[in-house]
Amino acid sequence: MVKSQQTLNQRLLRYGLYAILGVAALVYLMPLWVMLLTSLKDVEEIRSGTLFSLPGSLNFDAWAKAWSGACTGSTCEGIAPFFGNSFKIVIPAVAISTLIGALNGYVLSMWRFRGSELLFGAMLVGCFIPFQVILLPMARMLAMLGLANTVTGLVAVHITYGIAFTTLFFRNFYVGLPKELIAAARLDGAGFFFIFRRIVLPLSTPIIVVCVIWQFTQIWNDFLFGVVFSGGDTQPVTVALNNLVNTSFGGKEYNVDMAAALMAALPTLVVYVLAGKYFVRGLTAGAVKG
Amino acid sequence: MANLTIDNVVKTYGQTEVLKGINIAINKGEFLILVGPSGCGKSTLMNSIAGLEDVTGGRILIGDADVTRAAPKDRDIAMVFQSYARYPNMSVRENIAFGLEIRKVPKPEREQEVQRVASLLQIEHLLDRKPGQLSGGQRQRVAMGRALARRPKLYLFDEPLSNLDAKLRVEMRTEIKKLHQRLGTTIVYVTHDQIEAMTLADRIAVMRAGELLQLGTPQEIYDNPANQFVAGFMGSPAMNFVPCRLAAGDNGLGVEILDGNGNPTWLPVPHPERLSGVAGQEVVLGIRPEMITDPVPHKADQPLVRQVPMKVLVTEPTGADTMLVTEINGVEINCRINPGYSTPVGETVPLMFDMSKAVFFDPKNEARIDRG
Repeated sequence: MVKSQQTLNQRLLRYGLYAILGVAALVYLMPLWVMLLTSLKDVEEIRSGTLFSLPGSLNFDAWAKAWSGACTGSTCEGIAPFFGNSFKIVIPAVAISTLIGALNGYVLSMWRFRGSELLFGAMLVGCFIPFQVILLPMARMLAMLGLANTVTGLVAVHITYGIAFTTLFFRNFYVGLPKELIAAARLDGAGFFFIFRRIVLPLSTPIIVVCVIWQFTQIWNDFLFGVVFSGGDTQPVTVALNNLVNTSFGGKEYNVDMAAALMAALPTLVVYVLAGKYFVRGLTAGAVKG
Repeated sequence: MANLTIDNVVKTYGQTEVLKGINIAINKGEFLILVGPSGCGKSTLMNSIAGLEDVTGGRILIGDADVTRAAPKDRDIAMVFQSYARYPNMSVRENIAFGLEIRKVPKPEREQEVQRVASLLQIEHLLDRKPGQLSGGQRQRVAMGRALARRPKLYLFDEPLSNLDAKLRVEMRTEIKKLHQRLGTTIVYVTHDQIEAMTLADRIAVMRAGELLQLGTPQEIYDNPANQFVAGFMGSPAMNFVPCRLAAGDNGLGVEILDGNGNPTWLPVPHPERLSGVAGQEVVLGIRPEMITDPVPHKADQPLVRQVPMKVLVTEPTGADTMLVTEINGVEINCRINPGYSTPVGETVPLMFDMSKAVFFDPKNEARIDRG
């Protein structure tokens, strides 16, 4: 009797848990659903129907306009050119910050020196510096270097800001690798970079994936650095999206806004879908290993 | 000629001295084992020999070359680690060839060397696997293969068997001994297992708290320990330590004990002349379990053998022998008895004490007081 009550209780708890998770998923997915619906309607349908009413027909006009025809400030070429800008910023920034993070982590975990822990602690502080604090000094710096309003400048900003995070990731991952690996390689006669290239990097796949996802998301979604440090023709897609939404001639084209927003979000979604399982695994890998 | 000379090596971390002036010299082809409890500095000493840690003072010579400040790769040393000394991302073949590749040995020679080592260790069929696909014993062979591939002047083994299960450990121990006999290489081997030390070593260095307590052949260490710590560390079950008083007896100096019936009994000592200075004082008698046995007729007439009635507290049959626990002067002692000898628990039975290898220690500082 007691046993069956327990199982009933447990079952109720389980259903309760599913219900909570279901509601949470619904709350998170609702905006996406509304955006998708709205982007497929025409302006007339949006005005007459409700948020959740289905579009009369699948209509991709808004997507086409958002991609290549909508006005973003002074130009009316859609968000396509800015998509290119974003990639030009994100790819080098992610690659370089990941590589520097890997090297930093390698040194801080396997070639400890006097004060290396202190240095690591100091680098961690970099993770807590709010974006706004560095805007003015960074603007001065970029101007002095002649990199103001350039893609290179924006890449440099993102690399600098990302190093604190990438170093943290790699250092914590490498601390879990056995020290004997490095000792054995040193006895074999391998040098600093040889060990890094041949032994450490090939073992780093999980943490590289984590780092790339993290950095890609951060930099792709960045708006503040983009709006402050880019010029008119070097804007990333997030800034262009903002301009597109805020530029209106006549009526507000919600369908175009939504289509543009969905497109701007697509690359990070794709990265998550492709590599998401590594993300969770890699984030916990360093923590579990004693 | 000495192949490895450790000359007054000191290592400190801040205020802590982990090596307090170690002196060891071993010859070409010798198998030296560093043994001691954890934290005794044996691994630090080994890492210092390898160059993975800097020493604070003293010198390390390999052959005639002073390598105290040399980089690990310039010392011509190969090391077998307790674990993980294989690169998980490379095949067994690549693992073995790695050291040769770094030293820019041409590919055909590399391949030849891999084949030689693989056949030596009987791992030819595993060459294309990754270390993750191997069993414990196979991994240990690969780790040894990595070390053997370069034919260095000196091999270092850092507790190579401690990750293996008991049966495999005994097998690999024999393998290592065979390998050493066949190749005649110089080996320094760290372990905390005194049986490994006894079975493998040409010479054993017993360490404690950063000090070298004794350096000698396994038999010397076993029969003639420098102090009570060494005596207790080597041998299983451990040597018995009995507090007793040195007193004059019927023919010279001896120790007094109480037998199983509570009567005082006198046991002779092997070297009374060395103990004359402490006559009448309290000492610690060290006697190994195998020297206290059931009475055997052929030994009964020897001058240092006595038969004493002792009370049986516990018996532990091991098959080959039965370990009998009794009590002398308030301490429990182990005796090694023939399983055929009847020893009912609680009864008093005659046991034979062979004092020919008895040793004596100072109860205050554990120092040996009768060493020749």
